[in-house]
Amino acid sequence: MAREVIGNGNELAAEAAIDAGAMFFSGYPITPSSEVMHVASDLLPEIGGKFIQMEDEIAGIAAALGASMTGVKSFTATSGPGISLKAEQIGLGFIAEVPLVIINVMRGGPSTGLPTRVSQADIGQAQYPTHGDYASITLCAGSLSECYTETVRGFNLAEKYMTPVFVLLDETIGHMHGKAILPDLEEVKASIVNRATFDGPIDEYKPYKVPMNKPAVINKMFQGYRHHVTGLHHGDEGFPTEDAVQCEFNIERLVGKINTVAKENDGLDDLPDYEEYMLEDAEVCIIAYGSIGLGAYEAVQKLRAEGIKAGMFRPIMLWPSPAKRIAEIGAKFKDKIFITELNMGQYTKEIERIIKRDDFTTLFKANGRPIAPAEMVAKVKEMM
Amino acid sequence: MRNTIRFTGVGGQGVLLAGEIMAACKIKEGGEGLKTATYTSQVRGGATVVDITLDDGTIRYPYANEGEIDFMLSVANVSFHQFKNGVKPGGTIVVDPNLVQPTDEDRKKWVIHEIPIITIAKEEVGNVITQSVVALGITNTMTGVLPRQSLIDTMLSKVPAKVHAANIKAYDLGEKYAKEAMAK
Repeated sequence: MAREVIGNGNELAAEAAIDAGAMFFSGYPITPSSEVMHVASDLLPEIGGKFIQMEDEIAGIAAALGASMTGVKSFTATSGPGISLKAEQIGLGFIAEVPLVIINVMRGGPSTGLPTRVSQADIGQAQYPTHGDYASITLCAGSLSECYTETVRGFNLAEKYMTPVFVLLDETIGHMHGKAILPDLEEVKASIVNRATFDGPIDEYKPYKVPMNKPAVINKMFQGYRHHVTGLHHGDEGFPTEDAVQCEFNIERLVGKINTVAKENDGLDDLPDYEEYMLEDAEVCIIAYGSIGLGAYEAVQKLRAEGIKAGMFRPIMLWPSPAKRIAEIGAKFKDKIFITELNMGQYTKEIERIIKRDDFTTLFKANGRPIAPAEMVAKVKEMM
Repeated sequence: MRNTIRFTGVGGQGVLLAGEIMAACKIKEGGEGLKTATYTSQVRGGATVVDITLDDGTIRYPYANEGEIDFMLSVANVSFHQFKNGVKPGGTIVVDPNLVQPTDEDRKKWVIHEIPIITIAKEEVGNVITQSVVALGITNTMTGVLPRQSLIDTMLSKVPAKVHAANIKAYDLGEKYAKEAMAK
């Protein structure tokens, strides 16, 4: 049975992590994400898990990566400044293929920026958080319920694709407090994905010897299977190599196991990568994500009440983007597309890339304040 | 039917909890309630605003739409002046007269009641921390948005048992002062 709960987005994300099977959290508190930590510190010891407040952000992710390398589902939570500090370790997660859920509750930046205020300016950082070539999986919660469901999904994608996954909340969603409908707990448990394991003879265990576009198959530690973990380019057993063919294969596989797979299968799982609201008969399409989508629902309602047929497209999986559907929207709505986001147009660039035009109406805000439905309504009216 | 209520103060006064209590009560009653808070990065003393949206149907956008707020309560001058314009013309505002000084213009635009909330909590209840529950009693008495007993029960479920009596007293005093203010 679906569950009705009351909480804020940060609390719901932490509860989701536990329900998804997380047994380890390490991190360092930072506004506006700290409630994720608070709840993790309450819940993990109760189920025999481990919670550690580390000495800084870097140690916070290092311990979580280490825990995950042993086979335990792990997560950490922070905000943009924390991701900046964690950047090098995130790269280790990508190349060594360590599943990890990183919750980023976005606040104003750059640097320490606006600690208590809302922003969506870390979406570009989530796509390319560290140096080198790789592909990011980034989910963006657009409601209290999605703080829960997208965190569960983040764990499943991390295990399936053996990679760090970003779950983005923003300050509004993380701190807003109200009712959420969560899926039945048994259904959540039944949906859990666990990383693949190798059951063959120990001397044949080669975790990185996998075909192109497939994730590594890494066993839990302490069961006799041994491999080497490194940030250097590595061969089948994880030992460093500079072999040109191997290095090229490594990078093509790291990028391809996410981007090529998403393109070929129209996504990385069976869950929705976007939501559409009253878009079917719409004449104008509002594109918004995260908490800005909440205002966009009301903008659509207000516009329709005034006779303007508006609809909304809200991406949930930001990276890899739902490119096929965005291209269809571009073909249907042409220049009647209005993009609004809490940054200077970071996702607009992705939409321009896919649709191959740059004459959209936009409303960007980067001062730590939300975008009210009335502001969206005014912009759409200018378009009509 | 939608009601939007705004509490404003400075960081540390407990207005966040009062907002959560109202939202939780509305949800318990079968509707929807959302609380959002906007505050500064100062630990104490920064202007804080809490918006509470209560609706029998779905709420998406969690902040009050500026100019549509029905009722505001303010216990800090800086926050009052920063956030008052969200209240619709003719709307009701309660201020603590020891801390907030509305202008003559404000008094023409809105119905402003003066209730010494902090003093009531400090001297009549005996614990300044109960000011948020005094505010809760005032707010619900003036707006009538939530069933009285249900709101008190929700409030008690969120405070430690040893301070239940003090908080009931705080709610009752808020109610009493609100009725007196409205009768004037």
